[in-house]
Amino acid sequence: MSVHRQSIRVALGFLIVFVVQTLSAGEVQRCAIDDMGKELCLPAPAQRIITLSPGATELTFAAGAGAKVVAVVNYSDYPPEALKLPLVGSHTRVDMEALLALKPDLVVTWVTGNPPAQIELLGELGIPMFAIEPRTFEGVSSVIERLATLAGTEQAGLAEAERFRVGIAALSEQYRNAEPIPVFYQVWEQPLMTINNDHLIGKVLQLCGGVNVFGEMPRLVPRISSEVVLQADPHAILTGSVEGVSDGQLDSWKQYSELTAVKKKNLFFVPASPISRPTPRLLEATRIVCDYLDSAREH
Amino acid sequence: MIRPLLSLGFLALVAVVLALGLGSVTVPLPEIWQVMQGEGSALNRALLLELRLPRTLAAFATGGLLAVAGALMQVLLRNPLADPYVLGLSGGAAVGALLAMLAGMGTILISGSAFAGALLATLLVFGLAHGTGSWTPSRLLLTGVVVAAGWGAVITLMLAITPSYKLPGMLYWLMGDVSYARTPWPALIVLVLSIVLIMPLARNLNVLARGPMQAAALGVSVRPLEWTIYLLASLLTATAVTTAGSIGFVGLIVPHMLRLVLGNDQRIILPASALAGGTLLVLADTLARTVIAPEQLPVGVITALLGVPTFLYLLHRSR
Repeated sequence: MSVHRQSIRVALGFLIVFVVQTLSAGEVQRCAIDDMGKELCLPAPAQRIITLSPGATELTFAAGAGAKVVAVVNYSDYPPEALKLPLVGSHTRVDMEALLALKPDLVVTWVTGNPPAQIELLGELGIPMFAIEPRTFEGVSSVIERLATLAGTEQAGLAEAERFRVGIAALSEQYRNAEPIPVFYQVWEQPLMTINNDHLIGKVLQLCGGVNVFGEMPRLVPRISSEVVLQADPHAILTGSVEGVSDGQLDSWKQYSELTAVKKKNLFFVPASPISRPTPRLLEATRIVCDYLDSAREH
Repeated sequence: MIRPLLSLGFLALVAVVLALGLGSVTVPLPEIWQVMQGEGSALNRALLLELRLPRTLAAFATGGLLAVAGALMQVLLRNPLADPYVLGLSGGAAVGALLAMLAGMGTILISGSAFAGALLATLLVFGLAHGTGSWTPSRLLLTGVVVAAGWGAVITLMLAITPSYKLPGMLYWLMGDVSYARTPWPALIVLVLSIVLIMPLARNLNVLARGPMQAAALGVSVRPLEWTIYLLASLLTATAVTTAGSIGFVGLIVPHMLRLVLGNDQRIILPASALAGGTLLVLADTLARTVIAPEQLPVGVITALLGVPTFLYLLHRSR
């Protein structure tokens, strides 16, 4: 028994020495699996990162690797430091020459948002790429952790991932028994579009005790008619707008005074980029949505 | 006869050199020379050999293919509004490409599927226009236009029912861009071969352009000639669309411009279209990627911005 225990202790000791040695030598590979299921291993922490979507920029900063980002794409407006960084075009048209000239050792791409042909060409040029697109709350935390691993910024990254995870869990616990309330989330006015329960915004509504009236539709972002909205009679209508300020996008509903949401004045504006980007700011947006639904219940 | 071709060839060369020299990153002339001799820094080699050269050649080939296809279609249909896409070829290619994307295939299969779609569209119009009774260019034109409208409806339907996360990739393809071209070689080879093939027929095309009756009276076998033109133009267009998506305008405007300047002799117009179409697209693409760099513009915007005033000027001068 004691011999057995001792051998385990010796083995553990060896293991620790081995890990410490490889860490101190800086030769340990940093590996992570991206959202397309591809594993990326870097010989050393990434030092020159380029992000190819506004969301990727935000998540890389959240992972504590903001200081290592050397260029971003257009509309990378958060955090404000990102606005000062050089651009390599937009997420729809990447300036390949500018990107190459910056000699990145990690390019964070967007699974469905970047032109596939350009991404393939980057791969052929041997540039390490990590494709991300979180579709769940846990996915946000997990991407932050994986980016932190690749950038060697685990300390800040793991803390931020955990802050988000704990925050969402707390809200989820708080609203677990909240009174269900039928909700319509308007993604776009013309044409009228909404989201189903598989969409991250749909998950936000569910977490706050909202019942998405179009949650069971098969498509992720269904196009609908205003007739079915009237028929579903949501008790609250939400949409995204800049800074969450009313911009008239919900005004057309006001003509239907028989709608419960209109009768009770439950037309709400959520800050658009926090609710629509899967980044840590989603926590703040979720809090806002939960507060709105609370006030809708009281009306 | 050879002089306009020589000057167009010189212009094409200038355009290619410009395209290699200009970009978001400035590579000085001596360093370009180094790379051409197999030296130079790794970055410069990647910039020039992996990015600019393939892209420039692809732009040249695509522009040339479209312009020659447009010239052929205008002779075949005897309609000045004819362009490479008028008979629904780009629609067929788009449906092929979108289907491949829906099935989640890779870029090579998407290109193959687009090419197959273009050929299917060609054969469909070929078969339908044949029908019963005699066929004429106007019958071919009407069949093609209606089939094209059908493809358009299918594309809209596919976009409407596609899961939204697959939409961006599809829209990129539909917009068309030279930067998505992976290798210029198939397009270049098809361009050169088709010019070699069509040149012996150019004299007969001249006669055909004056009307089928005259051509037949002069001993030209009209029907085989017309189908040869149709199939060749389709092959050229299919190759262009497969290389860079459907880039508009070049195929319509370049042959007309050349006719205004050089007269309507197909022996000159066809090779001149290849050179001028290629040159226009190379210049347009160079501007598209440098004008507001690092922002990249769609090349179609620039072809139209360059082509419209040039064309209007030539048209105005010719009266």
